[in-house]
Amino acid sequence: MDIPAMRANFAKSAATGDEAPLYFYSHLFLSHPETRQLFPVSMAHQRDRLFAALGDVVARVDDLEALVPILQQLGRDHRKFGTLAAHYPAVGGSLLATLEHFDDEWSPELAKDWTEAYTLVAEVMIEAAEEAAEQPPWWEADVVAHERRTIDVGVLQVRPRKRYDYLPGQSVSLETDLRPRLWRYYSPANAPRPDGLLEIHVKARDGGPVSSALVRRVGVGDVLRLGPPMGHLALDRESDRDLLLVAGGMGLAPLKALIDQVVRNGPARRVDLFAGFRTEDQIYDRADLQRLERENPWLTVTLVVSEDKLSSLEHGDVGDVVLRNGPWLSREVFVAGPAVMVDDTVTRLVQHGVPRQRISSEVFAPSRPGPSVDGEVTE
Amino acid sequence: MTTEHDASATDDRSFTPADLQHVQFARASMLRPGYVDSEVDRVLSRVAEELGRLYAEKAALRDEVRSLRAQVDGVVTPVAPSEQAVRILSVAQQTADNYVAEAEEFSRQVTSEARSEYEEQVRQARENAGAIIQAAQEAAAQLSSGAPRADATGQRSVEELQEQVAYLKAFAQACRVQLRSYLEALIGDVETEWGRADPAALPQAPQRPPAQRAGTTFEANTAGEPPPEDADDLSATAGSRSAT
Repeated sequence: MDIPAMRANFAKSAATGDEAPLYFYSHLFLSHPETRQLFPVSMAHQRDRLFAALGDVVARVDDLEALVPILQQLGRDHRKFGTLAAHYPAVGGSLLATLEHFDDEWSPELAKDWTEAYTLVAEVMIEAAEEAAEQPPWWEADVVAHERRTIDVGVLQVRPRKRYDYLPGQSVSLETDLRPRLWRYYSPANAPRPDGLLEIHVKARDGGPVSSALVRRVGVGDVLRLGPPMGHLALDRESDRDLLLVAGGMGLAPLKALIDQVVRNGPARRVDLFAGFRTEDQIYDRADLQRLERENPWLTVTLVVSEDKLSSLEHGDVGDVVLRNGPWLSREVFVAGPAVMVDDTVTRLVQHGVPRQRISSEVFAPSRPGPSVDGEVTE
Repeated sequence: MTTEHDASATDDRSFTPADLQHVQFARASMLRPGYVDSEVDRVLSRVAEELGRLYAEKAALRDEVRSLRAQVDGVVTPVAPSEQAVRILSVAQQTADNYVAEAEEFSRQVTSEARSEYEEQVRQARENAGAIIQAAQEAAAQLSSGAPRADATGQRSVEELQEQVAYLKAFAQACRVQLRSYLEALIGDVETEWGRADPAALPQAPQRPPAQRAGTTFEANTAGEPPPEDADDLSATAGSRSAT
């Protein structure tokens, strides 16, 4: 395989920006019309993702150790999109046609190399998908409760129809029939429960098609589809270190799941939760947090507002308030929320002297394609 | 006329319609202004159109060559989608994408405006409510400490008291407005008299009619801004009464 030649060839397609993926998908849908229904109506974001993912593969093509796990994850994750082994040759054909179309120096050698490389990639992905075959590709889940807590936050209780295993702190991708083929990540706000219910916190983003539908249109009796759980925010099972949890806005959900885990499974430890919101009105889960605090003497919940002068709660950026209430040098720290808040809080805590490796964080951003900010390819 | 693109684009590969659409011209110097922007734009878009047409034609020709070649060779090649079809579907998809993007953008604007409107209303209502409650408490304290027959007045409904307080506040506000316009007028008079005696001493400040000045003060209060005077709660209450 002539890898430099393949990279040069790929670069030509990648340099066209939107045109190469546009060509690719049009070619794919015309030659295999049955694949169209696997994708959303608007393909704009899909096109960005395709070439980003392909770029990742091409960049690592000579580093199989790094590439294979990414491909396996991609293969497993594509099951929820309804991808079948039969779709892979179709995609390969259109990919080759695209690479040829945008390269005037296309040669039979390139065609052979790309066919080989693609076959390899497809094999790894198909194999990983088949290994995961004892799990369903997605889980249907009934919405059993839907509560509008504020003008734009809804709390849903959903019950998967089949057993759904996940770890507290992980994220779940989900899809609603109201917005077909658009998957978004949300973190359940509870540890796995005997009755299987998941508590999902959703904030309707302005103009966000999925989140607005989940808050304003989905109701009891509707069915959601859940993808396999992902994500890296998790308690170390070996440790019983005291916890410091810092949430900004909707970042509360995974941290509440961690608290729930301590409630259900222990081990006994002190837990301090700081939850920051802009105004007091936006504290959408206050009653339940207060209940948790009442029932668990080891838990302290501090609510913080940043832009509410009339409020009697602690005032300021949540990271600032956390430090005012320190020291936290012995704690295991989890931070979740918007990017600015996470960066600010982590920086402050590191300056405060908490070792970097004891701080886990997750950024919550609108339309995040995956739960990870560490450059993991998730879609 | 220079372009950022043309050097690299003409060297590497053929000029695409997209290249033309994204071309940017450097600003001409102040001394020697360049071409009229709109004319350049018009020509560019015509060139882009023409290029697009040529591309489509080229694609159609390529299809034709392929099918003719297949006929000559007598080989039945697996049916690949024609270049033309790919192009048509691409344009259709892009159109659909743009509509979706526009709809999402529209929804984003409408919701974010509605939200900020909502937050502002709630904030104002809360401030007004706070001011009213505070004023009522002060008034109640005054009444109970000042009058021995506090029991009798205490029996009177809170609403009645609040109404009285609000009335007093509005009255105070009106008095202040009146007094201020009177003073303004007085100063104005003094200055004109003075000006007649010694025109050079007249300050250059624009003269505002007193009535208008009083009006702006009142409006500023309804908007919830703290007035320059030291009577925040008074004006806020008066403002709320006039606003509701």
